[in-house]
Formats: sequence, structure tokens, C-alpha cells
Amino acid sequence: MTTVQSPQTAETTAANRQVVSSEILPEELHPSSRIDATDVTCWFGKRKVLERCTLSMEPGEVTALIGPSGCGKSTFLRSLNRMHELVPVAAIAGTIELDGVDIYSEEMSPTEVRSRIGMVFQKPNPFPAMSIADNVLAGLSLSGMSNEDPKALVEQCLRRAGLWAEVSDRLNEGGMSLSGGQQQRLCIARALAVHPDVLLMDEPCSALDPISTRVIEQTIRELCEEITIVIVTHNMQQAQRVSDKCAFFLVESIGDPGRIVEAGPTTQVFENPSDPRTYDYVTGQFG
Amino acid sequence: MLERLFAEHRLQLEVDVHMSLLDERPVDETPVPEPQDPELIEEQVPFRPRALVRSERIEILLAAAAGVTGSGVMCLLFDWTHVLTFAIWALLIFLVSIYLLARDSQSPIVATDRLITTLVWTSGGIAVAVLAWMLGYVVVKGIAGLNYEYLTSDMSKVGPLDDGGGVFHALVGTLEQMLIASVLSIPIAILTAVYLHEIRGRLAGIVRFVIDAMSGLPSIVAGLFIYTVWVLQGRGPSGLAAGLALAILMIPTVTRTAEEMLKTIDDGLRESALALGAPQWRSVMQVVLPTARSGLITASILGVARAVGETAPVLLTAFGSSSINWSPFNGPQADLPLYIYQLLRQPNPAQIARAWSGALVLVLLVLILFVLARVIGERGARVRGGSR
Ligand SMILES: Nc1ncnc2c1ncn2[C@@H]1O[C@H](COP(=O)(O)OP(=O)(O)OP(=O)(O)O)[C@@H](O)[C@H]1O
Ligand SMILES: [Mg+2]
Repeated sequence: MTTVQSPQTAETTAANRQVVSSEILPEELHPSSRIDATDVTCWFGKRKVLERCTLSMEPGEVTALIGPSGCGKSTFLRSLNRMHELVPVAAIAGTIELDGVDIYSEEMSPTEVRSRIGMVFQKPNPFPAMSIADNVLAGLSLSGMSNEDPKALVEQCLRRAGLWAEVSDRLNEGGMSLSGGQQQRLCIARALAVHPDVLLMDEPCSALDPISTRVIEQTIRELCEEITIVIVTHNMQQAQRVSDKCAFFLVESIGDPGRIVEAGPTTQVFENPSDPRTYDYVTGQFG
Repeated sequence: MLERLFAEHRLQLEVDVHMSLLDERPVDETPVPEPQDPELIEEQVPFRPRALVRSERIEILLAAAAGVTGSGVMCLLFDWTHVLTFAIWALLIFLVSIYLLARDSQSPIVATDRLITTLVWTSGGIAVAVLAWMLGYVVVKGIAGLNYEYLTSDMSKVGPLDDGGGVFHALVGTLEQMLIASVLSIPIAILTAVYLHEIRGRLAGIVRFVIDAMSGLPSIVAGLFIYTVWVLQGRGPSGLAAGLALAILMIPTVTRTAEEMLKTIDDGLRESALALGAPQWRSVMQVVLPTARSGLITASILGVARAVGETAPVLLTAFGSSSINWSPFNGPQADLPLYIYQLLRQPNPAQIARAWSGALVLVLLVLILFVLARVIGERGARVRGGSR
């Protein structure tokens, strides 16, 4: 699964890492990036599950992906950081550009793509064999980066994920000793520690109580000033609360691939949708 | 800190609730309950709720009594003298009585449930009993000869009819051979398991088939193989040769168990590691293997347990010896199973007593190794969690 890098790519990667590891304070962070997906089509084996999806995710914005179950939101999200190809039978067409560079081209390795485009999963999954602090730092050691001041990084990331106050006095306990909501925020902190340019979140709050959900939504709003965020959610209120832009996915009839029916500013999609199916879905009158 | 936060949340919620109540109702005159003096509140005694009510416990006791007396009477009547006969009849009568009592006092469904529960319990009990019996037998037979001299001397100066002598040479042989076999087989086996379940390479099917075939390999064949390709090629018998043969036996056990342990690890962990930008080897080394740590230790223990009692392959490769040979690389070497096997075939009661003591030493050694492996595994996990 490790792709052989061309020497030139290896150099740029190394340079990138150096920049990343020397940055600690939020104000020094690089400005966030944009992703442009053009005509993305995804297959599992022979089955086409997503067809010609075009969407741009702008810097500093939160983009929400909504739509009924099974319409390919997760698949689309996973294609954005090359997680889609981890399924052995998966295939993809179209282009996805991160700041103008195609992430599926020879210029980028999957590991580089994934350390620049972080991901938070639906089910919180801290690494059980690591302490809370080690969980936050896991991304650094896993991708071969180093940091001069790991303690400060741990604190900074936990603060940004809204978890610092609750765990500051037990950083050495195992990651599984936290509640579900805390685990999810730990996973967000873990994703932040590698300083991604983009953060993908697949239903990050679906397993959480309202209070944890609110904390995470706040976190998302704060993060989006530095990081481009794409979030899948089934919760219409959540989409309205956190997102600037919204894309509605739909499978028109059974067996069809999923398509983007409508995409635009969140207020427009929710208050004045141009497509009647979008209107039905966001007002809860869907099938 | 956490508690305080929760307490604050709760307080906030309570305040909210009060506020909303106040919004709806006019201020009413319900007297606020006086906070009770904590001294006056009685200390609560914790208890575990019981699964069975008293009448059911009495039924079980009755059934047990029926089993013991019924079987006792039968033994007296028919002149049966063996303990096992008594135990089997007592168990049968006990089970039947349990069923009948429960059926009459409650219903056939309850009775069937009770019967099956009892059967499960007794099966577990029988397994433990057989094991305890066997261990007890070894202890009883072997404890008499087990002393400092026995543990520290070999058999080189002991004539066929003499007393004295000991197990030291065999103990050293077993330890060295097991060490060699473990060092050779456990890393290979765990890497093979990683290949089978993490890499899932194209050859995985073939490798799994070969490993399965290997696990069915009779141990004497492994011994013969090393005998032919190693001992007969001018290298002669040695502890190393025995270690090689035992490693062949350990690899399939450790591989398959380790693979099962890797299967229990959530795919989400692997995906999270990769999503952080990890190459696959780092995800395996830093996330998958540490998470599977205690399972992998279990796999290794099972492998050691498979090999430590083997006689035939050691007989063919290390030949056995009655004097101490410290070097595992040169010359014949004894080990515990072989020592036991060879002594048990002697006619002299002193030799047979030594064999039993040897068996006890083997059992104790295995026990110590298992406990050590567990302790090391857990200590390692704690240090890992507690560092930094
Ligand atoms: N690993 C896989 N192998 C084969 N088909 C898959 C796989 N994962 C998803 N699919 C199929 O792809 C389609 C899209 O799935 P996806 O998970 O993207 O939906 P989703 O929009 O995220 O749904 P949900 O809201 O329920 O999470 C579904 O029809 C699903 O059956
Ligand atoms: Mg999904």
C-alpha cells in the first residue's frame, strides 16, 4: 500500500514536514486549502455507487454533505483523502485537486495526502494501547514527523478540541478510559496534531449526547478559520448550525448511483432550494 | 476536574428546569424540603442480588442429597467399590432430581432451563476436576523426591540401582531448547500472521494452507526431518537441533492463534492510523501489534505449551544424555520429557520415583513460564500507558 515516491516528491514531503513540525501556535498556521472534486465517480467492484459528483470545498468554510442513507456520502468523503482505495475492489474516476494538485497523480503519495487531509470517523476509536497524550501525538510518530515540544502540542490540540479541561490531569491514562464524547474529541485532537489543511468528518456526532455534540459543533466553528472542514451529517439542524455550504446527495431510484442533486450556500439550500427533492428532504417530507 | 464539570452541567440543567417550572407556574408555596442532617441518614449496606430464591436453593440441596444417598445405597447394595462409579451415579441422580423437582414445583420450561444450567456447570466442574486430579496425582507421586539435591545434580554418577541423582541436566536442556525454539519460531510466526491478516498478500491462501498442513504434522516427522537434514549431515545431535525441530512444531500454532488475535482488532483502528498519514508498516508496528499485545502473548504461550512436552523429536535430535551439557550447540543434551520417558522405562522403583519428580518439575516450570509471560505482558502494557 505504500507507494514508491519519486525523489523530488520525497524532498517536497520532507520540506513540508519541517514546516509543519516547527509550527505550534495557531496564528502561525498556513492558510487553509481548497479541494476541488470534478466528475468524481466511484465503484465497488462493478457497482457504481457515485456518479459525476462535482463540488468545491472552499478554504475557511465548512461544507456539509447531506442525503439519505446509502447515497454515497461516506464514499465521496473517503475518496477525498484516498481512503476509498483501501477497499480492495474499489475504483474511482474523475479528479480531486488539493490546492490545484491532483491528489491521485504521481506527485502525491497516499500518505502525504492523508497527513494533509485528516479524517474523523463516525465511531470514536482512540488507540487502546496508548495513553491520552500518546493518542494525540500518534499521528506524528505514525507519519514520521517529530516535534520539539510534544507537551505543548498535546495541550494545544486538546484545547482546540475542547477536551483539555477534562483530561489535563490524567494525560497518562489509557485513551479508552474516556466517555464516548470525550473519545470523539480525543480523535479530533489526534487529527489536529498533524496540522492537516483539511479535516473530513463522517457523522462525528452520531454517537454523542447533545452536550458533547454542542461542544464539537463549537470546535468545528472555531477550527474552520484555519482548516477547511467537510462534514457528513444526518442532522438537518446540525448542518444549518455548522455549515456554510451544503451538498445534497441522492439515489434517485434503487440501483442507481448517488448524485449531487444540489449544492450551494447552506441558507439557500435550506430556505430556498432550487430542486423540489431537496426541499422535500430538508423539510423532512422525504419518502 | 471531570466531576466538577459534570456537577456544573448538572447544576446548570437543574437551574434550567427550575427556571422553566417557574416560568409556567405562579410562585407557589410548596415548602422547600429541609436539607437532611447527613448524620441522620443511615449508612447503606451494599448487597449482590441473588439469582436463586430460597426455595430453589433448597431444591438444589435436596437434589444433591438425593444423588449422594441414592448412589451410596446402590454402591452398598451392588458392592461397587470404585469412587468413579459412585460419582457418576450420584451425578445422574442429581440431574434427574433437579429436573423433577423443578418440574413439579414450577414448570417443564423452568425445569429444562435449570437442567441445562446445571449440566453446563457440571461440565466445567468435571474439566477442572480432571485437571486437578491429574495435577494432584503428579504432585503426590513427585513431591517426595523433590529436593535441593534433586534439582541441582545430574544422573552421570548414578548406577542403575542407586538412589540420588537429579534433574538438573534435563532442566537446563529444556530451558535452552525452548529458548532457541521460541526465538526462532515466535517472530516468524507473528510476521506470518501479519502477512496473512494485515498485508493479505496474494500468497496468503497458499501460506495459510501450508500452515494448516504443518499444524497436523506429527511431531516425530519434524524430528525425523531435522535428524535427516541436520544431525546426519555431520552436525551431530545437539540442543540446537532439538530447538529447530520444536520450532517447526510451534510455528503453525503460534501463527494461527496470532492471526485469530489480529482478527479481533477493529478495522477502524487500522483506518484511523492510515488516515493520519501512516504507512502501513507503521500502522502495524505502532497500532495493531501493541493493541493485540496480550493476545500475541497468549499465542506464544500456546506455542510453548505445544512444544515443551514433546518427547519424540527431542529423542531424534538431541538424543538425550545423563550428564549436564551446558552447550546447546554441541553434543547430546537431555530435556524433561525425554528424561521422564527414559526413567519410566527402568524397572527400578527409585528411577520411577525420579521420573515422577521430573514430571512435577515440568509442570511447575510450565506454570512459572505462563505466569511470567502474563506478568511481563501486563507490566509492559502499564508502562506503555503510563509513560511520557
Ligand atoms: N466496502 C464496500 N463494499 C461494497 N459496497 C459498499 C462498501 N461500502 C459502501 N458500499 C455501498 O456504497 C453505497 C454508498 O455507501 P456509503 O457508505 O457511501 O453511504 P452513506 O451515504 O455514507 O450512507 P450512510 O448515511 O448510511 O452512512 C451503498 O450502497 C453501499 O452499499
Ligand atoms: Mg456513511
